[in-house]
Amino acid sequence: MPSRLIVALVCIGLAPLAQAADISFNRDIRPILSEYCLACHGPGKQVARLRLDQADAALKGGKSGAPAVVPGKPAMSELVKRLHTGTESERMPPASTRKAPSPREVKLLEDWIASGATYEGHWAFEPLAAVPVPAGEGAVIDRFLQATLRDKGMAMRPEAPREALIRRVSFTLTGLPPTVAEVDQFLADKAPGAYERMVDRYFASPRHGEEMARHWLDIARYADTHGLHLDNERQMWAYRDWVVNAFNRNMPFDQFTIDQLAGDLVPNPSLDQQVATGFSRCNVTTGEGGSISEEWVYRNAVERASTVFTTWLGLTGACAQCHDHKFDPISARDFYSMYAFFHSAADPPLDGNALLTAPTVRLETAEVKARRDKLNARLAETAASLVALARAADYSDPAKAMDKPAPVTREEAWFDDAFPAGGRVFASPGHPTQYVDASSGKVFSGSKALRRTDSGLAQDVIEGMPAKSIPKGAKLFAHVYIDPANKPKTLMLQYFKGGWLHRAAWGDYDAIPWGKAGTTERVNAGPLPESGKWVRLEIEASKLGLVAGDQVTGFAMTQFGGLVYWDKAGVSGSADPAADPALSLEAWWRSQRGKNQTGVAEPLAGWIKAGPSARKVASEISQVRDHFIATAWDGASKEIKSLRAGREAILTELGSFDSNAPGTFVYRDLDKPRESFVMMRGQYDKPGEKVEPAAPAVLGTIGVKDRRANRLDLARWLVSPTQSLAPRVIANRFWQQVFGVGLVKSSGDFGTQGDLPSHPALLDWLARDFRDRGWNVRDLIRSMVLSRAFRQDSAAPPPEWAKDPENRLLGRGPRIRLDAEQVRDNALFVGGLAKLDMGGRGTMPYQPPNIWEPVGFTGSNTRIYQQSKGDSLYRRSLYVFLKRTAPAPFMSNFDAPNRETPCSRRERSNTPLQALQLMNDTQHVEAARGLAARLAREAPDSAARVRLAWRVVVSRLPEPDEEKSAVAFLERMLARYGADKEAAGKLVRAGESPVPAGIPEPDLAACTMLANLVLNLDETINRN
Amino acid sequence: MSAFKLAPDEPTRRSFFEGAGLRAGSVALGLLATFRASAAPGRVHPPVPGLPHHKPTAKALIYLHMNGAPSQIDTWDHKPVLKEYFNKDLPQSVRGGQRLSTMTSGQQRFPVAPSKFTFQRMGKCGTWANTDILPYTARIVDDIAVIKTVHTNAINHDPACTFVMTGSEVPGKASIGSWLAYGLGSESNNLPAFVVFTPRFPDGSNGQALFTRMWSSGFLPTAFNGVALRGAGDPVLYLRNPEGVTPADRRAMLDALGGLNSISSARYHDPEIQNRISQYEMAYRMQSSVPELTDLSGEPRHILEMYGPAVTNPGSFAHSAIMARRLVERGVRVVQLLHRGWDQHGNLPRELGNQCRDTDQPTAALVTDLKQRGLLDETLVVWGGEFGRTVYSQGTLTPETYGRDHHPRNFCMWMAGGGVRGGQVFGETDDFSYNITKDPVHVNDLNATILHCLGIDHERFTFKFQGLDQRLTGVEPQKVINGLLA
Repeated sequence: MPSRLIVALVCIGLAPLAQAADISFNRDIRPILSEYCLACHGPGKQVARLRLDQADAALKGGKSGAPAVVPGKPAMSELVKRLHTGTESERMPPASTRKAPSPREVKLLEDWIASGATYEGHWAFEPLAAVPVPAGEGAVIDRFLQATLRDKGMAMRPEAPREALIRRVSFTLTGLPPTVAEVDQFLADKAPGAYERMVDRYFASPRHGEEMARHWLDIARYADTHGLHLDNERQMWAYRDWVVNAFNRNMPFDQFTIDQLAGDLVPNPSLDQQVATGFSRCNVTTGEGGSISEEWVYRNAVERASTVFTTWLGLTGACAQCHDHKFDPISARDFYSMYAFFHSAADPPLDGNALLTAPTVRLETAEVKARRDKLNARLAETAASLVALARAADYSDPAKAMDKPAPVTREEAWFDDAFPAGGRVFASPGHPTQYVDASSGKVFSGSKALRRTDSGLAQDVIEGMPAKSIPKGAKLFAHVYIDPANKPKTLMLQYFKGGWLHRAAWGDYDAIPWGKAGTTERVNAGPLPESGKWVRLEIEASKLGLVAGDQVTGFAMTQFGGLVYWDKAGVSGSADPAADPALSLEAWWRSQRGKNQTGVAEPLAGWIKAGPSARKVASEISQVRDHFIATAWDGASKEIKSLRAGREAILTELGSFDSNAPGTFVYRDLDKPRESFVMMRGQYDKPGEKVEPAAPAVLGTIGVKDRRANRLDLARWLVSPTQSLAPRVIANRFWQQVFGVGLVKSSGDFGTQGDLPSHPALLDWLARDFRDRGWNVRDLIRSMVLSRAFRQDSAAPPPEWAKDPENRLLGRGPRIRLDAEQVRDNALFVGGLAKLDMGGRGTMPYQPPNIWEPVGFTGSNTRIYQQSKGDSLYRRSLYVFLKRTAPAPFMSNFDAPNRETPCSRRERSNTPLQALQLMNDTQHVEAARGLAARLAREAPDSAARVRLAWRVVVSRLPEPDEEKSAVAFLERMLARYGADKEAAGKLVRAGESPVPAGIPEPDLAACTMLANLVLNLDETINRN
Repeated sequence: MSAFKLAPDEPTRRSFFEGAGLRAGSVALGLLATFRASAAPGRVHPPVPGLPHHKPTAKALIYLHMNGAPSQIDTWDHKPVLKEYFNKDLPQSVRGGQRLSTMTSGQQRFPVAPSKFTFQRMGKCGTWANTDILPYTARIVDDIAVIKTVHTNAINHDPACTFVMTGSEVPGKASIGSWLAYGLGSESNNLPAFVVFTPRFPDGSNGQALFTRMWSSGFLPTAFNGVALRGAGDPVLYLRNPEGVTPADRRAMLDALGGLNSISSARYHDPEIQNRISQYEMAYRMQSSVPELTDLSGEPRHILEMYGPAVTNPGSFAHSAIMARRLVERGVRVVQLLHRGWDQHGNLPRELGNQCRDTDQPTAALVTDLKQRGLLDETLVVWGGEFGRTVYSQGTLTPETYGRDHHPRNFCMWMAGGGVRGGQVFGETDDFSYNITKDPVHVNDLNATILHCLGIDHERFTFKFQGLDQRLTGVEPQKVINGLLA
C-alpha cells in the first residue's frame, strides 16, 4: 500500500506534475525559486544585484550582465546555465546551502522558460476578482469541487446515512453529539428541507457560539494565566465569554474584527467593546524579577503585531522582526510599521504577577448590582438620619475660640468592626479574611473582630485608604487575643507611607523576613504578648520612622502561624484641638481640600473639596458643618458615632465591590505615543530607522492623511471592501473548521512558503462573497454545511483513500478525529453528566495529581491545583481553567495547544497515551458509569442495552456483527462482576457523582464496561 | 531545506510530512509511520529516513538539568585568587558595562564573594572539584568533561530555560528531547521515546518554575512531546486500570474493541483506524512494561546503595536517576531530569549544599552504573543549568554566607560518556569567573555537539515551519565543539 499511496500523491495537487503547456508560475515555479534561490536573490537580499522573483529584474540579470531568464530560450538563460555548469564556483545553488533542485524541478524551470517564462504575482496578494462559477447544478461550492474531481476522473460519494449526518452536523456546529430525541426527530422528518431544518436547530443553540469560540480562542491565544515565570492567574474570562456571545449573535466578522482590535477607539465604546479589546492582551507576559522593562515593551508589541499578521493576514511576520523577509515581500520596515500600532500600549511591560494588570474594566453581575442598589439606599437613609442629628448637635469650633485651647490626648481607630472606606482591603492569597462576633469568637470592642489562624505567614491588609495623619507623640496600636493553645511565632504591624517600609515585630524576629533587619523596615518590638486575654500591642510611631504630619495610607495586621483575634487598631497621640481635623471644623475642612469624597453627593462633595477659604455662603457652610459632625467630629454623641460606624461599613462594602468585582484586561494606548523604530536584528536596544503605523506596503495603504493612523484605522482597513488577503484567510479558516483541512492547508501561512490552495477559484469566490455580503459568518458556514461535499458518505473504497489520503479534493465526506474538548464533552454528554452553564471563571475538573505542583514556581498562585466540586466538574471543556505552563493533560494529550502563541491549526495525532486516557481517566470512567445507569434503567436485556448504547453514543443502531460482539462482551462482564461483587462495587464508585440507586452493582459494573468499550470506539472519537 | 537527503524511492515523504511545513495531520503521521516502518522494520518509533547522518557515538541522551542556575564559582570554576578580594569591589575593568539583572543593577557596591568551599584536585586528571558538597561527583572527574565557558543570551530564568532547551528564548520551538525523538525514534517498542522526570527538590530552596515547553514538541508533531514519568500517582498518566478492572478485563475489552474497530475499518477504510488499533495495543503493552520498569526489586542491594537512601522513594532525584539508567537500558532515546531549586540569590552556601545533597550521590552513581554496564560508551550524560551566577554578592556578604545574582556570560556544564573525552576541563575564564578568556561554548554550540554525538549534523537537521527551515541551533552559525570529543 505505501508505494501506491506515493504514486497517487504525486498525481494529486500536492506535487503536481505539470504539463509543459500549463505550467503555472505560482503553483510550479515560485516554490522552486523560493526553495533554492530567493534567500539570496529575492525580496530581502539581492546578492550580485540579482533578483529572481520579479520579471523585470530576472530579464535584466545581475552583476554579470547576462539575463537570468530569456523567455523561450532556456539554454540562453543564465539561471539554467548556472544549474548545469561544471564549474564548482559558478554552480547554483552553492554547495554551502546543501540544497540542490531535483531533475524534475530543473526540467520544470526549463519548460517554464521555454514556454515564455510568464511571471505572476503571489496569488494571495492578488485582488479578489469576480470568479466565474463552473456550470452545472447544485450549490456553488459543489460546482467548483466537482469540476476539479471531474478533471481527476473522480466523483463525489453518495449522501451519508442520516444518523451519520446529524452527528456530523451536531459536532461541527455545537461540539456535542445529538441526543437520541434529536436523531429521532430528524429521522422522522420526511418532508423536503429536513436537513436544512436540522442544521438551523443547531445554529440556534447557545452551544453553537461555544464551539465557534473554541476555534477562535486558539488563534487569540486565550488562557487563564500569564504564561511566563510565576504563571499566576490572570482574569480575563470575560473576553472568552464575549467571543462566545459574539458568535451566538452572529456578529458580522468586520465588526468582530474592529471590536477586538480597536473597540476602545470607536465612538462611545460600550463595556462589551472594551472587553473585546482583550484580544490584544491575551499574549503571554512576565513579571519575573530582574526583567528589563524596555525589552518587554518591545517584546509585547512584537507579539501583538505578529498575532495580527497571523490572524488576519496569514503571514508569518516573525522573520521580518530581524530582517527583511527572504521569501515574502514583507520588509522589516513593514513589520515594524505594524508593530508601531501596538508599541504604545498602556499596559505595563511587566505584569506584576497580578490577577488584573491595568488597564482593566470591572464587570458587574446582576446579584452585585442588586446588592449595590440596596446599599446605596441604606446609605442615603443613614446620611439623612446623621444630618438630622448633626444639625441638632451643639458644636463650636475650637479654632475659633478666643483662647488657644490646651492640647488633648486622642485615640483614632483605623480598624474597629471594619476597615476605613475608600481603600483596597485584601488578605494573603488563599487565606480569606474572617470576621467573628462575640458568639463565634473573641471581640474587644464594637461588634466584630478579625480571626486568623494559619500555619505560616498570613495577614489582613488595607492599601490606598484615605490618608491618616500621624499626630505628635503618636503611638500605633492594635488589640490582639492569642489563643493559648495555638500561639503564633510572630505578630507584626506594618504601615504604608509611600512604600511598605515601617514594621514592628513581636515574638520571633526572624520568622517574617520582610524589610531590612535592624532598620525601621523591621523593628524588634519585644516578645510575644501574653495569651488568653486581650492585649494592646503598642509602639511609638517614631521608632518606625513615622513622625508627626506623616500620611499613612495603608496598614497590615500580620502573623506567622497560630490563632489570633485582631481588633481595634489605630493611632493615639497628642492633639491641638484647634488644628486637629477630628475636633476643628476649620482644620478638617482644610484637610479635605482637593480630596474626592467617597459616598457624598454633589454639590456638598464639591464644597468640601474646595476647602474653607473658597466658600462663604452661610447655608453651604452649615451643610459642611453638619457633614463634619456626622462623619468626623470626635466629640459627637454616641448615637451619631454608632450611625457613623454603620455608614463606614456600608461605604467599605460598596468599595469592596469595586476592588473585588471581577474584571478583565482591556487594551488601551498611552496618551502620548511612543516613537517606534525598526529594531536592528530584532534587538530591543538597537533602534534603526523611525517608522509610523502603517500597513505592509505590498498590501496597499491604510489611506489616512494628515494624522497618525491608529488601531481603528488598521482594523477598518483589514475588513475594508478592497481587502483581499484577510477575507481569504478568514474564509479558509472556517473551511478548515468545517472540513478538517483548509483549502489552503497551511492556514496560518499564506505566504510564498505556504501551501497553495487546492481550489484557488473556490477560495476566491468564497472570500469575495463573504466580504461583499457583509461578513456574515453563519451564512458562510451554512453554505459549507449544506453542500453536497459535506453531506457525502465518508466511507470510501481503499483506492479512493489511496488517491487522496488527506481528502483535499473532497471526493468523500470529511472524517476527522474529535478535538480534545469534544472528546471530553462528548463523554460527559452521553454519560448524562454535562452541565451546560455558560461563562465565568475557569473550572478545574478532575486532574491526576502532580500536574501543576512539580512545575509551579514556589510563590505562584497556580502552583497547587484545587479541583472543583459538584456541578463545576462537569462543565464544558471551553470553560476549563487553562494554565499555560502546565495545561490539563486531557487537552494536550489530544493536541490542544498551550496557548502560548497563536495556533491556527491543530494537528490530530493518534497515540497510546490517548488510549490510556480514554480507557482509564476518572472522567471517562465516571461518564461510562453514567451511561451505564441509563442503559440498565431503560433497556431490559443485554441486546437492548447494546442497541441503546450505540444509539446514544454514535447515533445509530449497531450492525448485527457489532451487536453480537458487544453482547458477548457484556454477558462476559455480567458473569465476571456477578462473581466478584467487590470489584463491581469499586468500579461503579468512579468519580464524585453519587452511585445511582436501585441498580444491582454487578449489572451497573458490567454496563460500565460496555459503556467504556463504546466510548473507546474509533467511531466515537471521530466525526464520521 | 533538504534536512535529509531523500532516497530516490521516497520522493514524497518530505512533501507529505513537512510539505508546507505545518504540523503534520493525522494522515501524514499515519503515512509517516508507514514510511518509517519500512526503513526500520519492527520498530514502533522508527527514525526519519537518512538519520543518523553519521555513525553516532551515543545512542541515548540523559540530560540532568539543574534548574535555577547553579553557581559555577561554587561548583566547577575554582578561583583561589578570589580569597584576596573578599568584600572588595569587583574591578570596573572586569565588569565593563555589562548588562545586569534589575535585581542588582541598583546595588551600590559589587563586593566580591569568594567561594567558601574547599576545592581539591581529583582523579588522574587533577580536575579541581568542590569536595565539600560534591564529594561523589568529585570521584568521577576522570569520566567527565567539565566545560567552564558555556554562555547564553538570556539573563532571566524563563527565557534562559526556554533557550537552553529549545535554542530560542521565545516559546513555541521544539525541545532538544523532542528533536531527538523525532529524528532518531526509539529502540523501545513498549516505552515512549522521550521521558521526563521532575523530581522533588529541597524544602526552603527557591524553586523557579519549570515549563512543559522545556520538553514539548513545539512545531514538531505532538507525538514527540516528552512523556513525564511521575513520582506520584500513576508513573505514566492514566496507566492504571480503574478500580475493579483487572488486566484480564482490560484484555477482554481490548479484544472486543479491536474487533469492533476492525468492522469500522472495513466500512470506512480510513487507515487511521488500523493505526488506532495498534495504539491501543501499545497502551496495553505499556500497562505491563511501565510497572516492570519501575519495579526495583531486581536491583542488587549494592547498586541501590550506590544511588543513596532516597533511591527507593519515587519522585526523588535518586529514584529518577536509576530510572534513567533503566530507561536507556530498554532503548529509550532521551531521558531528562529537571531538578529545581538552584537559584541562590541569598544564603547560597547552605542552600547549594542542600541541592547537592539531593543530587551529588545519585548523579555520580548514575555515571558509574552506566559505566560498569558498558552503557556509558553509548550514553551521553549532560549536567548543567540555564546560566551562571555573579562573582559579586547579592545581599548580605560574610565569609560564611552570601548570595549571587544571574550571570549569563559564563557558566559550567559537564558531559560524560557517549563520545566525549572525560577527564578534561574545557575553556577558561578570568580570575573572577566573570568573562571568558578561552574557548567559549555558546548554548547552541553545546546543543550542536550533543546532536553530533547522537549522529546528527545540526545544520542538516531541520523542520519546515513558518516558512523557515527551523533547527534546534537557531539561525546564527553554530559549531560542534570538537575539543570535547574523544
